[in-house]
Amino acid sequence: MTLLEISGLEVRYGRNVAVKSVDLTVADRQIVTVLGANGAGKSSLLRAIQGVVPARAGTIRFDGRDITTSDVPSRVRSGLVLVPEGRQIFVSLTVQDNLLMGAYTRHDADVTRDVEAIYTRFPNLAMRRDKLAGVLSGGEQQMLAIGRALLAKPRLMMLDEPSLGLSPLFVQRMFDLIGDLNRDGLAILLVEQNTSMALQIAERATLLELGSVLISGPSAEVGRSEMLTQAYLGAH
Amino acid sequence: MILILQQIVNGVMLGAVYVTVALAFNLTIGILNFLNFTIPPLFMVTAMFAWAVAEHGLPFGLTGPLNWALALGVGIVLTILISLVVERLTFRYMKARYGDATEHAIPLVSSLGFLLILENLVRIAYGTEPHRFATPFQDLNIRVGGLIVSLPQLLSLFLALAIVFGLSRMLATTKTGRALRSIAENPDASLLMGVDVSRIVPVVFVLSGLLCGVAGAIFAVNYGQVYSGMGNEIGNKAIAGMVLGGLGSIWGAIAGGVIVGVIEAMSVHLFGGDTVQAIVWGLLLVALIVRPQGLFGHNAIGKGKL
Repeated sequence: MTLLEISGLEVRYGRNVAVKSVDLTVADRQIVTVLGANGAGKSSLLRAIQGVVPARAGTIRFDGRDITTSDVPSRVRSGLVLVPEGRQIFVSLTVQDNLLMGAYTRHDADVTRDVEAIYTRFPNLAMRRDKLAGVLSGGEQQMLAIGRALLAKPRLMMLDEPSLGLSPLFVQRMFDLIGDLNRDGLAILLVEQNTSMALQIAERATLLELGSVLISGPSAEVGRSEMLTQAYLGAH
Repeated sequence: MILILQQIVNGVMLGAVYVTVALAFNLTIGILNFLNFTIPPLFMVTAMFAWAVAEHGLPFGLTGPLNWALALGVGIVLTILISLVVERLTFRYMKARYGDATEHAIPLVSSLGFLLILENLVRIAYGTEPHRFATPFQDLNIRVGGLIVSLPQLLSLFLALAIVFGLSRMLATTKTGRALRSIAENPDASLLMGVDVSRIVPVVFVLSGLLCGVAGAIFAVNYGQVYSGMGNEIGNKAIAGMVLGGLGSIWGAIAGGVIVGVIEAMSVHLFGGDTVQAIVWGLLLVALIVRPQGLFGHNAIGKGKL
């Protein structure tokens, strides 16, 4: 079943077109990766899907509903979350408060239990729950950013460069975690600079260049394509 | 000696008003990075409107003259409403039009415009001369040792401290408080959490309007008189107190407000009333050179303190 369906999406900043006529689908419980060089429009694509920047053209459907003009809070409530580039955790808040911010749109009684579940998954965070998030290491901050996003009870999590700035050990743990979350039933839309690992974990891949889709298909196919190197080397 | 001690007591009591107004400034600057110049006139409007309805009743003949407590209540409600209008026309309007309004001087300038407009409207309506605001307990004093302590002023100080304490608990423990702190640090990330920033920003303005209102009420009760220029006079020193205590620091507002109150009382006692502003701001400038972040401020000046 299709969870996210984007067609003809366009994003502009003033006169600059960041994303143009992009089509993309993510099925339920699927991992899809979006690849491309710096400035290819990957982050803009994710931000438009989340509603942080407006779609100038095209439609975004999530879980069968047209959300093209919905605001960010209602998209979060419907199960769509973005873990932004650079993590953007609240360094002046405690680890616990960061996690509770993730559950901001929820009003059910299970929040406390779900926060504990995050601590079980990430024991490093549990040890520092009352510490300011600013004292965490880069890897722990990324875990916190993901834990925080999980507390919104998402059905689709978008991750923007989650391995950026992490040690090789943490990069591996990050991809393991993405696999685990996916096996638990979460669909994932992944933007990554680590192309080979992203292609390994994702079922499908979409390659962007200058805001447009260059190629889209099963990861193995995209991985073999010449266009992949072209897109990164700009030899197109 | 007893005279000096008496001045310190007076100064601390005077500080109650500064603390409350400084806190109003601190909230908008700490959470929204917005120095809201409408705070002094809002403080003044509370007191002047309370006086007006105590004297003449509500406009359009709705009621006759109101008693002092009811009048102050009406003044506070009006102040909160004006604060919301200010939010709508300065902060929110500019934000919708220009993105992150805090990056621009425009909201600051438009709040400066509100300051002048509100103050001059009141001046047109009621003149510049002081008006008497009568309450039954203006002259209730208690004596401690040889010191005279005004009971209403003492209660005002406790009220101001209770409000600061309540506000800091609210920010520390409630969901709204958490959201406000997250906005103070990173509004974009707050939005990603699903915080409807445009719906929560008015909360800041309601709170700062309420603080201005309470401060205006405290002033009217303690000093028994109100005038159109009171906002400027008190607002100046409240800003000094806020900066001294540390921009954006709630507890700094208490220390700064009380210190400014004491400095003021001492200067009046030692050098006369005309020297107050020069001494307060002179000392403030010195303090800024020595410790620019204020007594309780963090190293970074600006956002993300609450």
